[in-house]
Amino acid sequence: MAINLSNSNIATRENRIGSITGYVGTLKDLATQSSCGTLKGCSRCFSQSSTCLSSCGLSQLAAIRDVAVIHHGPAGCSVTGASAYYMSKVMAKKRGVTSDTVYIGTDMNENDTIFGSTETLRKVILEVNKRYSPKAIFVSSSCATGIIGEDIDSIVEDVKEEVSVPIVAVHCEGFKSRIWATGFDIADHAVMQEIVQPPREGVVSNKINFKNFFESARPEIIEIFKNFDLEPVFLYCNSTVEELSHISESLATTCICGTLGNYLGNALEEKYGVPYIRSINQCGIKGFETWLREIGKVTGRSEKVEAYIASEREKYLPQIEEVKKELKGLTAVLGMGPGYTFEVSRVLDELGIKVVWALAWHYDKKYENGDVPPSMKYLLDNDINFETSVSDQQNYEVMNILNKYKPDMYLSRHPGSTVWAIKNGTPAIYVADEYMIFGYKHTLEFAKSILDAVKNRSFEENLARRSKLPYTDWWYKQNVDTFFEEAK
Amino acid sequence: MSEIRQIAIYGKGGIGKSTTTQNLTAGLVEHGKKVMVVGCDPKADSTRLLLGGLAQKTVLDTIREEGEDVALDRILKEGFGGTRCVESGGPEPGVGCAGRGIITSINMLENLGAYTDDLDYVFYDVLGDVVCGGFAMPIREGKAKEIYIVASGEMMALYAANNISKGIQRYARSGGVRLGGIICNSRNVDRELDLLRAFSKELGTKLLYFVPRDNVVQHAEINKKTVIEYSPNSNQAQEYRNLAQAVIENTDFVIPTPMTQERLEEILMEYGMMELADDYKI
Repeated sequence: MAINLSNSNIATRENRIGSITGYVGTLKDLATQSSCGTLKGCSRCFSQSSTCLSSCGLSQLAAIRDVAVIHHGPAGCSVTGASAYYMSKVMAKKRGVTSDTVYIGTDMNENDTIFGSTETLRKVILEVNKRYSPKAIFVSSSCATGIIGEDIDSIVEDVKEEVSVPIVAVHCEGFKSRIWATGFDIADHAVMQEIVQPPREGVVSNKINFKNFFESARPEIIEIFKNFDLEPVFLYCNSTVEELSHISESLATTCICGTLGNYLGNALEEKYGVPYIRSINQCGIKGFETWLREIGKVTGRSEKVEAYIASEREKYLPQIEEVKKELKGLTAVLGMGPGYTFEVSRVLDELGIKVVWALAWHYDKKYENGDVPPSMKYLLDNDINFETSVSDQQNYEVMNILNKYKPDMYLSRHPGSTVWAIKNGTPAIYVADEYMIFGYKHTLEFAKSILDAVKNRSFEENLARRSKLPYTDWWYKQNVDTFFEEAK
Repeated sequence: MSEIRQIAIYGKGGIGKSTTTQNLTAGLVEHGKKVMVVGCDPKADSTRLLLGGLAQKTVLDTIREEGEDVALDRILKEGFGGTRCVESGGPEPGVGCAGRGIITSINMLENLGAYTDDLDYVFYDVLGDVVCGGFAMPIREGKAKEIYIVASGEMMALYAANNISKGIQRYARSGGVRLGGIICNSRNVDRELDLLRAFSKELGTKLLYFVPRDNVVQHAEINKKTVIEYSPNSNQAQEYRNLAQAVIENTDFVIPTPMTQERLEEILMEYGMMELADDYKI
């Protein structure tokens, strides 16, 4: 699908790439239906809360150094500001840099919703520009401004004469998509629209764009890439506007998670011809090697990549094989975003662990270029199949599955989810850090973590004995899709 | 003390809701009734004839300029025969949210104690079609319990009336709102009376009153007066008095049964054309 950068308002994942939030079946069926176009998502007649796309999108932008995010809406909508501020300070400190990013709400009140408040917004933009001298300004709508049709685009256009830095309207109405990852796309769209500049004449780059969340493995990846004479540019956490303006010059774009990086990767490829690495991701041995080889191919460094793989294999494979002996035959349930769900499933399979059920919070039928996500394709090509559901972060569905299957472990990437599993007596592994299974070294560590978690279960057992969860026995006996409404 | 009859008047834009409401109000005043008219249109022209001009400061403008600590007499003006007139007001065209404005201003009127026990009637004169939740505010939460739709024999007026009935039906299920009937503000189209009767019957209601077309209404409007004030002895003034009497006596309140587009078109075909064959006799 062509990416249209001339309009500030992008379509949702549901509309653009047919993403869904409700499904129960098998991995094979899910993939077959995606590729032949018959996949229909279900909604729910009962739903617990999920995550707002606005907090997803705006915290991405607020992670950029020295920018201003102006959230035009009632005070409560700007609640993301607190965590975004904290995150940006902590991440900058961790890296040893400073970030003067500010996150400002326009504190819209009742009168503003009736009469509109674009004039207030104009004043806030100019004041923020004067007071903080940000390197770029992102002006976001909210649900309230979206409903009343507040014309933020015109205001942003108007103030361009008075603001010398890039300024862009970001349409973040939370109600427009059930899928928070739409927020990632909205952030990428804003960056592509106003921050990224065309490549400068004559610049020869050895850089590779690396879209990730919190760059925890930054020093390590810089070292790895030195082997291939490549220099990673991590996005967007701690990025500078200057760095971002030149990502169109890079040799390629890659990402740690297809759900996160898909829009930017495709947009850079489509607009500036920067190749997007569309391999399975770096988790596990197969993933890491496939990814490295793809980078080698795209950047003309295959030889160096092969040499690196050979030396690392020698170091780590025997150790991983050793741990695998003890993992063989264990069972697992996963609940993660769709990127990680199917990547981690592959790694578990590699380690000899049987995935009995995977819950993806949402599911992208295809990526921006129209292909089925590579992690899915890999599982199918290798004849790996398991029961799968698309569960929109619905905890009661996770608990239903855990009670039915009583797996040896539950793995999740979302805070809180693993706590529920532990209270249920299921050993759980919180795959919080996006680099937790990155490459040989971390795959080994991951395998060891699993072993630790399943070997000593006293914590889960004791906690479960003392915890009463709110779900009834009735619910545990129901099918997980009991509250699904017919596919539309 | 009997309960205040709170009445919302809906209908297609330009059909004559404000004119009808104000003349009806004047008729009620002559019957000794105490009436408040709440204009729910950003244009704030629902009380012009009762007040003798657009001298009114709207609720929303007042809140915006003076804050929420407003005295009732700043927004409530007395008009013809002691009627109380309020204009909700709203944003400039193309900005903000007029619907939200109606919600805010009606809540404000309640908080300020505008609904006093001595009132017999409160009228809400609502902009055009039911365009969003805000414009349905007068019929939500048990405010207006009675609705009259102003229509004519013109097709679009009936389309709109049917749509409005869908809105009423929605709120009738949860609240106590009922349709009291259709008021025809005649446009002198073919077989208008028959058409309106058939349409009303299909909706499960009745044609409450047929107000004929008369140029004196235009004269009175130009003079910023209701017909009853401008020309009390005219036939039209009597028509409005009769309308007031019909409202006073009305006890038929129903949940409407809106029709499908196809059925509406059938009724139009049946009644909406006079002796079609004659036109082609050459």
